[in-house]
Amino acid sequence: MSTAAKRRLIRDFKRLASDPPIGISGSPNPDNIMIWNAVIFGPPDTPFEDGSFRLTLTFSDSYPNKPPTVRFVSKMFHPNIYANGELCLDILQNRWSPTYDVAAILTSVQSLLNDPNPASPANVDAAQLFKENLKEYERRVKQTVEQSWLDNPDEIESEPTASTSVQAVPA
Amino acid sequence: MDMSSHPLLASLDEPPPFPPSYPQLRRLDRSVVCQICKEPFQAPVSIQCGHSFCSACIRSSLDAMKKCPSCNEPASEGHIRRNRALEEITDSWEESRPVIHGLAHPPTSKKRPAPEPSSKPASSTGVKRMKQSPRAEGSSSRSQSPTKSRKSDIVESDIPIDLDEDENDEVLELTENDEAPCPLCQASLPISSIPMHIEKGCPPPKGKTNGMRKGNQKADWKKVFSGQGTSSKAKEVEMKRITKPNYSLATPADLRGLLSEYSLSTTGDKSALVARVQEWIILFNSNLDTSHPSSLSALRAKMSDVEASKKRDKEKGKDEMINQMASTSGLRKYAKESGGEFERLKREIIERDKRRKEEEEGKGSGRDNAIEVE
Repeated sequence: MSTAAKRRLIRDFKRLASDPPIGISGSPNPDNIMIWNAVIFGPPDTPFEDGSFRLTLTFSDSYPNKPPTVRFVSKMFHPNIYANGELCLDILQNRWSPTYDVAAILTSVQSLLNDPNPASPANVDAAQLFKENLKEYERRVKQTVEQSWLDNPDEIESEPTASTSVQAVPA
Repeated sequence: MDMSSHPLLASLDEPPPFPPSYPQLRRLDRSVVCQICKEPFQAPVSIQCGHSFCSACIRSSLDAMKKCPSCNEPASEGHIRRNRALEEITDSWEESRPVIHGLAHPPTSKKRPAPEPSSKPASSTGVKRMKQSPRAEGSSSRSQSPTKSRKSDIVESDIPIDLDEDENDEVLELTENDEAPCPLCQASLPISSIPMHIEKGCPPPKGKTNGMRKGNQKADWKKVFSGQGTSSKAKEVEMKRITKPNYSLATPADLRGLLSEYSLSTTGDKSALVARVQEWIILFNSNLDTSHPSSLSALRAKMSDVEASKKRDKEKGKDEMINQMASTSGLRKYAKESGGEFERLKREIIERDKRRKEEEEGKGSGRDNAIEVE
């Protein structure tokens, strides 16, 4: 008999597979149901349009009483996304509820893309540009959209070790 | 699509959903589901704001946060009250569901029944219309009472188990949904259930279960007492809920004392003991919130199952996998290894979009706007 967390995750998967939100897909790692891979397409009519952004979600045994850890694997430029891919999203912290499921989480993340919260800046540059220079902000966002198309996209920032992607545009 | 191929999905032993043509039945299905575990209520309880959950689910949730999971109102264990009617509703729905599903989703009949639901007059043909065109949008035949007591709609007109059956039948051909007498025992029941009924040796179709139910309750409560030996102290303990100890003040010895009272394992350091006590209290107290409780030995078995499962995971290094992803380089490594998976997910979205566009184009000919995506 699996734990409550696993049962719930299987159910979440079932719901996600049978009734997927638009532009979102996700599934558990075949070796470990507590780790999920997901892809979110940027919402149309936004600077994020056509981007296919990768994320991971890691769950603990206390799910759904505790939220998963959600991290973007693709490089993002957004006021509420840290350089290492972590998100600053209220429903993943203090406004979490056990009634949320994976579909709800991914949908919220997708909505966050074109609806940043200036009050909790995780990426100071992005937050500033968003406020003061929208055009430049959108240019930077479009860069990440293009990067997301590469097979091994230039992922989260790290130390100055060379990344594997062929990237002409400076980050 | 993923659904059929993924092994995990097969492991969920679930009754099939109702087709989209029956939104009322889907709504009813959803209404008996606990929003925390997303399964039908087990030992449902309500809290102060009025929201209901499985007893174990809300107790577990309140351990983590003192708010209602649905509305965020402040909440605590003291507010938990059994919701007896909800339990009865959920249990009886679970019992009825296969019957209703059989009626709403008949196996393909050899003779396609005559079409034209609109030409029939109203009233009793509400029943027949449903059976004739199970695929039809409920709206045409249901429009008479879209918002009125849906429950009575379902109970009275849609499940004619006891209602008069085939008076108007000369107009219709018999489908699998109509009732007919069993060829062996002459009992009247839906045609689709007759083969199974015969297989079982023609048990009378109704009434048997009702009697069983009441009897079971007494047997269930007996189970709670049995298996605990003859110690009277143990019996007193069983009927009352366990009060949560103050975990920061309690010593490991205190915790071990509590655990041994219920014949549970006393191994592990303080945090392991706390976790075990917490889990036990949830299981034990929620067990008292249902009219068909499990025996204590069943609860203990559940506890050890959970602990065994966690142990297995640890041995397989599953926790390790997650820990490795915590670092930036670990995450990057993981992303690289899972490149194929991500590609597949991306393609899934693209194909889904394509399919949706094709469907819409098939429907709305002559329209050349871009498809609206919400």
